[in-house]
Amino acid sequence: MEKDFLESRLNINRRRFLSRLSLGIGSVALGSLLIPDLFSGAGAESEADFIPGIPNFAPKAKRVIYLFQDGAPSQLESFDYKPKLREMMGQELPASVRGNQILTGMTAKQASFPLVGSFYDFKQYGESGAYVSDLFPHIGKIADDICIIRSMNTDAINHDPALTFFQTGAQQGNRPSMGSWVSYGLGSENKNLPAFTVLLSKGKGNGQGVYSKLWSNGFLDSIHQGVQFSSGENPILYLNDPDGLNRHERRKMLDNLAALNDINYKAFGDPEINAKVQQYEMAYRMQTAVPEIMDVSKESDDIVKMYGPDCLIPGTYAANCLLARKLSENGVRFVQLYHQGWDQHSNLPQEMAGQAKDVDQASAALVTDLKQRGLLDETLVIWGGEFGRTNYSQGKLEKANYGRDHHPRCFSIWMAGGGIKPGLVYGESDEFGYNIVKDPVHVHDFHATILNQLGIDHKKLTFKSLGRRYRLTDVAGNVIKGIIA
Amino acid sequence: MRTSHKGFAEGLLFALNIFIVVLLCAGDSLAIPQWLQPVGRLHPLILHFPIVILLLAMVMEFFRFRPEFANEKLYQRFTTYLLVLGALLSSLTVIMGLFLSREPGYEGGILQWHKWFGVSVAFVGYGIYLWRNTSVYTAIIAKTGAIVIVICLIFAGHFGADLTHGEDFILAPILQKENRKVPIEQALVYRDVIAPIFETKCQSCHNADKMKGGLMLTTANAILKGGKTGKLFIAGQPGISLLLQRVHLPEDEKKHMPPVGKPQLTDQDKMLLYLWIKNNPDFKKKVIELPATDSLRMLAATRLKPAESTEEVYDFSAADDKDIKKLNNNYRVIYALASASPALAVNIYNKSTYSVKVLDELEPIKKQIVILDLNKMPVKDGDLKTISRFENLRQLNLNFSDINGSGLKDLASLKHLKTLSLAGTKLNPNLIGQIIAIKSLTELAIWDTGLKPGEIQQLQAAHKKIRLLSGYKDDGKPLKLTNPQLKNTSQIFQQSFQLQLSNPIKGVDMRYTTDGSVPDSIKSAAYKPGILFTQNTVLRARAFKAGWLGSDTVQFNFYKNTYTPDSISFLAPADGKYTADGAKTIIDKELGGTNFGNMKWLGSQKDMVMLMLFKKPIALHSLTLNTIRNIGSQIFLPAEIEVWGGADEHHLKLLTSLKTATPQKKDPVAAINLECKIKTTGNISCIKLAIKPLQKVPDWHPAKGKPAWVFTDELFLN
Repeated sequence: MEKDFLESRLNINRRRFLSRLSLGIGSVALGSLLIPDLFSGAGAESEADFIPGIPNFAPKAKRVIYLFQDGAPSQLESFDYKPKLREMMGQELPASVRGNQILTGMTAKQASFPLVGSFYDFKQYGESGAYVSDLFPHIGKIADDICIIRSMNTDAINHDPALTFFQTGAQQGNRPSMGSWVSYGLGSENKNLPAFTVLLSKGKGNGQGVYSKLWSNGFLDSIHQGVQFSSGENPILYLNDPDGLNRHERRKMLDNLAALNDINYKAFGDPEINAKVQQYEMAYRMQTAVPEIMDVSKESDDIVKMYGPDCLIPGTYAANCLLARKLSENGVRFVQLYHQGWDQHSNLPQEMAGQAKDVDQASAALVTDLKQRGLLDETLVIWGGEFGRTNYSQGKLEKANYGRDHHPRCFSIWMAGGGIKPGLVYGESDEFGYNIVKDPVHVHDFHATILNQLGIDHKKLTFKSLGRRYRLTDVAGNVIKGIIA
Repeated sequence: MRTSHKGFAEGLLFALNIFIVVLLCAGDSLAIPQWLQPVGRLHPLILHFPIVILLLAMVMEFFRFRPEFANEKLYQRFTTYLLVLGALLSSLTVIMGLFLSREPGYEGGILQWHKWFGVSVAFVGYGIYLWRNTSVYTAIIAKTGAIVIVICLIFAGHFGADLTHGEDFILAPILQKENRKVPIEQALVYRDVIAPIFETKCQSCHNADKMKGGLMLTTANAILKGGKTGKLFIAGQPGISLLLQRVHLPEDEKKHMPPVGKPQLTDQDKMLLYLWIKNNPDFKKKVIELPATDSLRMLAATRLKPAESTEEVYDFSAADDKDIKKLNNNYRVIYALASASPALAVNIYNKSTYSVKVLDELEPIKKQIVILDLNKMPVKDGDLKTISRFENLRQLNLNFSDINGSGLKDLASLKHLKTLSLAGTKLNPNLIGQIIAIKSLTELAIWDTGLKPGEIQQLQAAHKKIRLLSGYKDDGKPLKLTNPQLKNTSQIFQQSFQLQLSNPIKGVDMRYTTDGSVPDSIKSAAYKPGILFTQNTVLRARAFKAGWLGSDTVQFNFYKNTYTPDSISFLAPADGKYTADGAKTIIDKELGGTNFGNMKWLGSQKDMVMLMLFKKPIALHSLTLNTIRNIGSQIFLPAEIEVWGGADEHHLKLLTSLKTATPQKKDPVAAINLECKIKTTGNISCIKLAIKPLQKVPDWHPAKGKPAWVFTDELFLN
């Protein structure tokens, strides 16, 4: 593929050809034959350091499953235990704690900011003694397998930019998604399935939208785009042959089409033509691979009990978790789940209970299931939303009813497997759960760390577009060494 | 140059050289006044001039006696001028250097070497200048002198650079420092954890040659001694440590260390220093002598970790790229573990294309395969013989394959096998001993293989080194079954319908009732495929299974509809917001669900009137309208429904009308069937249906006085 790109550029881009020539191709070639690293500039970041499809160093994780909790679940009712907030229930948030934090339009005009403690109790779990709220008993049980990060922070305060930031490393939605970067960086493991797949589910809580730009390939080649598996009769749209067309005829049609496309490729040298032919071929192979993946009827009762019986109802979060395991097991590099309904501006205690019930058992089951298959070592599981929620109530604070607004400064996520330290609680927030006091992890750091686990140096995974090289981490990001096993 | 200038230069040169001698003799007793210090500090700037000028002068001096130059006046004079200028500047530089060396922070061997080579340049240069026009000065002496000066220049320059840039500055990029790989068992707290911090962040200014602030951080004694300001720390009292104070000062503070612009200590560095001082600094203590929970030990362990967990080094060479490319196909994916690694991973996909040939063909890369994934492939025991040829295999996944274990003995020859996954296979428990004997094995997955928990426990007890993955055990709490699902495509039927229920969980017992009662697992009728219903039915169903809690009760309503009009049109249409699919919405055999806003319901605040035509006359006995009531949303039942019938639209008469009861405040939200019975009137070909909403919402409603909404989604004609 890369070679094709180069060839086509040489064919059509005279300026590039001449500029390359002026360097003296001959001497460069000879020099690099004698000493291969002569021009690679050790330590410097150069394009030559990165070969798409092969990790920079031996990876800890081969695959990622990202359980995105869309809408931003409250850290204060899940993984960040703040007894102080209960003590100070109803009291005003001290101005010194809030500092210069900008608020959303939803609470900026609120006359008071009454602190509110978690409606739900917390318990300590496992040898790690991590605090997990009573809403997530199953995740509590796997506390020793996961690493809870309580010091995440982001730049954005509203759903769409924050979600886009988490998914693409930028708040404007024109960059490739993380899954696309991984597909570009590592290639696909199983050529019969897309390297990047997307699964959606929806809870009953107040929801926010997810859009296909979140799994867009941006400026990368279109084969790196996320492919959405839906829950209906046809999990992948337009994959099945039309009625009356048998597989043999389909094959003949594809062969002839490929021959025609090849004529055009020879004439124009556009690599997108070849990409398209490859996509047709992959779709052809997917026609047999996908039904096998989607078939959950062969899963044993133990598995069903583990994920919860909902896992057999297509379109539920539990079903998507089971499917995510099957896809990942079959070599899909990046499985992206979204579960909507976590935007609890009001009615939080009730809504969050419903949301937690949707995801708790299946999330924990996924980790346990990967572990028993010996896959957890090489699969990185991530659970979290796009930001956190405020420690004060949005709207009227009642004894058993309150809401929380968006809070980008400090929130919690967890990761498991893929060479991340199990049984660790990383980072710390102040006793108000408002500011980070120890080991902050920014979204860029989060991206750098994920790529690192996949064997990719985030500074080397670049793609040149519109005259400059882009990275998932843009110009920032540090690998969080403290959470790496 | 005029003679007077030359004389002046010579005089100055003499004076400067005497001054150098004085400075050298005075040695340590010399104190430089503060106002002269800037002059000393100009040393690194000025020194570049004498280097260049003297070098050029010496080249010319070297060839001075060559016949072609001997009588060249310009050449001779130019050499003289260069030499006098070079000698002057070098003397000046030496004086400045001697001033600078008196400032604190410059000490040690390198400084001495630099000083004496520098002084030699000045003296030898002056000597040559004095001597070069005498008769004893021959070509050989000229050449020797030139060479000596050049050598002195080079050494003086080199040692000087060592002072300013640090030793090995030039060669550092190519002198690859060996990564110290100290296993944690052998690591010393000071040597392997603390000293590297000093080495990388402090020693460029605090070393034996350059003791800024009188402080040297290269040896234990010097560290204990401290610097000009005092001791660095008192053991066990980090709170009053000068060292920690300096590194913790704000960066813009003048005394902050390291100075702005130099590499700063990380928070972890500072923490390590703090803990080290708190623990009573010891230069010989081993890391593992600290208690396991000690913060210093834990931090030190993370520091030393990278050395420990370096990537596995393989002792085999890489396979031929061409072989890899040739063997790679859509169902056999071969990829390198990392960009420079010879190790390969192989994944096999697609049951239908698998055969042992897929493995046999890997012969050319058999040495390089370290990971082989055959998950869910129909691998037979005989195939393991081929696998045993992959001598460097580390990880083998045979989960859910077709082996029974008889071929596992072949794997015993794999000396590196670490992870073996046999879950979901029909493993013969008696054969497990053969694999467990593989010494390198550390992980074995054997869940779902028919091995009983007791057997697995015994195995685990006998082989503590191997981690046995025995699978998930539920906590015994029964879970609730999923609800029965209706598979019938429509809940509206003409004559009869066959009930089609299903449940994704295998082996469930589904029970149903048609009398509105909650089904139980004993008395209620059991669902079997093929049960026929011929009447309107309210079906309630539940699923049961041993070991599970029964599902929720679900209700499905089935409606009989004997006649479907051949055409339908509005005489008075629905509201523009709720037009759904037009008039035919109510005969489309699709119920509208519970949400009136989903575009499957017709709604209006005015009379809705529809005209239906039948090509074949029908005998109508009843007309049932499915409506919705949602008082909160101002949706009430129709106040009245009128049904007109006749042979055609011009000959209609009122067949019946239905008036609903006065709505009450507490009427629940519900879908309600309104049935209009019709006394037999003979066959009709045309029906007019008028649905009339409540004219005025009752006074107790917030929208009192306004017309109510009516909604309908389906019509049943029997």
